[in-house]
Amino acid sequence: MNGRRRHGVAVLLLHTFRTELRKAHGWMGLGLFALSSVYAAYRSVGPRAEAGTWNALVWLVLMFSAFNALARPLADDVREVRQYHMHLLRPQDWIVARTLYHGILLTALACCVWVAFAVFMGTTHFEGTRFFWMLLGMVVTAWSLAGAITLLSALAARAGAGFGLTAVLGIPLVVPILLLSARFGQAVISGLGAAEKWESLLFLGTFGGGAAAMGFVLFPYLWRE
Amino acid sequence: MKDRVALVASGALLLYVIAMTALVPLGPGLIALEPVEATPLQRFEVVGLGTHFAGQTTQTRVFVGQPGAVWEWRVLEARDNSRLLVEAVWPEKLKSKSLDVFVYHPTDGTLLLENALHVDHLPVDAATAFPPLSQPIPSGDGLGLHFPFQPQIFESIRNLLWHVPMWFTMFLLAGIGFVASIRQLGSNRLLPADGQAEAASRVALFFGLLGLITGSIWARFTWGTWWVDDPQLNGALVTVLVYGGYSVLRASLEDAMLRARLASAYNLFAFVILVILLLILPRFSESLHPGKGGNPGFNAYDLDSTLRLVFYPAVVGWGLLGWVLYRLGLRMDLVTRWMESLDPPLDPGPSTTPNSPLP
Repeated sequence: MNGRRRHGVAVLLLHTFRTELRKAHGWMGLGLFALSSVYAAYRSVGPRAEAGTWNALVWLVLMFSAFNALARPLADDVREVRQYHMHLLRPQDWIVARTLYHGILLTALACCVWVAFAVFMGTTHFEGTRFFWMLLGMVVTAWSLAGAITLLSALAARAGAGFGLTAVLGIPLVVPILLLSARFGQAVISGLGAAEKWESLLFLGTFGGGAAAMGFVLFPYLWRE
Repeated sequence: MKDRVALVASGALLLYVIAMTALVPLGPGLIALEPVEATPLQRFEVVGLGTHFAGQTTQTRVFVGQPGAVWEWRVLEARDNSRLLVEAVWPEKLKSKSLDVFVYHPTDGTLLLENALHVDHLPVDAATAFPPLSQPIPSGDGLGLHFPFQPQIFESIRNLLWHVPMWFTMFLLAGIGFVASIRQLGSNRLLPADGQAEAASRVALFFGLLGLITGSIWARFTWGTWWVDDPQLNGALVTVLVYGGYSVLRASLEDAMLRARLASAYNLFAFVILVILLLILPRFSESLHPGKGGNPGFNAYDLDSTLRLVFYPAVVGWGLLGWVLYRLGLRMDLVTRWMESLDPPLDPGPSTTPNSPLP
């Protein structure tokens, strides 16, 4: 049973990647959105942003890019495909695979955003290990967002409403994540000890993990016809 | 019938709360101990708020010190009701550099100002203990019913009777919605529980908004701004947004069964978020909010009988009002559905429109 379940998750995850990578306009659109957001931020505050501004902008851009990615319905969200999956898969497999997919997608997106920020706005505030701390924070934030929003985006997709509904349902959950991330960024900038940083990361992970666990429990109810 | 009883009871209780909020005065308290310019360390002015220093000055007494090491200062004169001129008496050594001040006045009772004065000119020995006062600090006051004086909060303490019960009511209704949503989610049919969850969450959202508004007004007069960045406040805002999202989700779905299922799942999610953000997380983070992180709050008033006299009726009154609004919402939905079943729909639909103006 357990073996079959892992199998289901893996197959579904691979399938999602295959179908999504085939649609080049989808992921290229996400990347383009992220890059142009960074560029717009760069043009509006200039190359020598204050540390605080830098910190706020990087999380805001990550949040909007992530939202763009999470709210977009996938090829599998078509009603017919869903009904086909309903006969083959357990709903838990589906939500786990979707959360993993979102997590991986957002990690890639977070790395893109971070590199774009480093290129355009410079890394004067993030020399040495701070650079990697910040990258780690962005990756954890990406996973936390994926965990918290996947259920809601599945819910919105099920309701047949698109971006708008995911935004309305998801933004409130993003606020605490954004606050925690910004606190983490402040801790990195001001060079606080590792304990403070790990504490923020732990809170982020717990929040995302808790929301994902609720999604795991609740999703089978959304899945039924 | 039961609803009407609840409505009348809630109305009576809330009238009582309004009356007490408006009529009960704030008790007296101390604000500062200010040195007199020309004679530092010798003469001080005790500054009070709502005090009655001008009368019965001879019976007024002032004490200074730390627990276990208290001694008396001499009262010279009362400048007016809120300013008392005192002459300092200094011992040879102190228990602590930070001194509390007590003022006893026959009308005001014993007032305390913690850490009123910081002195550097005397040696400090933590083992210092003074003999007990020859006349102990008297207790009791000649005041009638009054709300307790709290530094910084002052008159705005009355908000405790409005703001806090509103949040309690929100929790109550969110809890009703949570239970109803669990019942609906466990079933494959459309239950009355779905309507109950909707009505309860609607009223919960309403009370959450009231809680935000009363909190914001209080913050304007106590903290100086309408909003501050604080874990408790962020949690409250996010919770209200989440419950707003519930309404939007319901409104965006046409099919009743799908709406019931998706909305109940989201409602469970929303309630857990409420518990985490409002009841758990603020306990783990520093907050300016009264009652949190060592700030004066309900715990500090626990023993104040006047506040309890109004606070408990206020909790019951606001809770009953929430319950009445919830029941009213349920009945409104029932009547709406009944009327819809009586009348033909306003838009008869394409099958019965013989001559459409469009080609």
